[in-house]
Amino acid sequence: MVEETNTASFTRRAVLTAAAAAGGGLAGGVFISPLDASDSDDDVAIIKQLTGKTPVGSDRVHLVMPRTFPNGYTVPLSFEIDSPMTEADHVRHVRVFAPRNPLIEVARFYFVPRRSEPRVSTRIRLAGPQDVLVVAEMNDGALLMTKTWVEVATNGCA
Amino acid sequence: MFNPTPRVQVPSVAAKGETFQVKALMSHQMETGLRRDPKGDVIPRKIINKFACRYNDIVVFGVDLHEAMAANPYIEFYLRATESGQLEFIWEEDGGHTYALTHQLTVG
Repeated sequence: MVEETNTASFTRRAVLTAAAAAGGGLAGGVFISPLDASDSDDDVAIIKQLTGKTPVGSDRVHLVMPRTFPNGYTVPLSFEIDSPMTEADHVRHVRVFAPRNPLIEVARFYFVPRRSEPRVSTRIRLAGPQDVLVVAEMNDGALLMTKTWVEVATNGCA
Repeated sequence: MFNPTPRVQVPSVAAKGETFQVKALMSHQMETGLRRDPKGDVIPRKIINKFACRYNDIVVFGVDLHEAMAANPYIEFYLRATESGQLEFIWEEDGGHTYALTHQLTVG
């Protein structure tokens, strides 16, 4: 049931360089709010690069993290996905990404229809204030994502 | 920290079809491989990289952990009580060493 894991750790530099090269051509001439668009585009580009597929923002994915936290060593994270977990509609796995960490992928959680709920609480390290991305892969291959901004006061990765 | 110790909190009894909570905690340094010692050499990576829960030998929940999981990894998850039997919790460390705990569950 457990898929083969991708053992290469994607360093932030490698991913962002490739994403910038790929996305550079799109920005010219489009009238959008620079801050919001570039943040979302970056996040979606990173996920696209790491998974090969384009994620869709979904309110079926709930992510709870503190807005601010005094240290980056053990930041609490909880996610839950609305899904009946039947054979026809279930979550295969959920990946957590921290794009400003030196190593972007934090963890991957695997679920089984009718056996486990797509709901986890854990603690992660964050190198600095950033969006934390949660991407759920559904049984039909669709990627549903959400994100939340977390402001940590110290670098938990060094 | 010196002797990684796994701990699990899980009910012993559950009603059939009910969802129950499992809390799994491993005391482990989770050395990221990004820190340096006082001499300046990189301290090698040594983390728990996999966690799995087997319910009567079927894997019902799994995790691939990477460097950004916090030290003393805490994983709280939820399972459906389908039948009585054995729950097994397995943590795997870089280098292949595994830690395991088992627990009997009665489903009425």
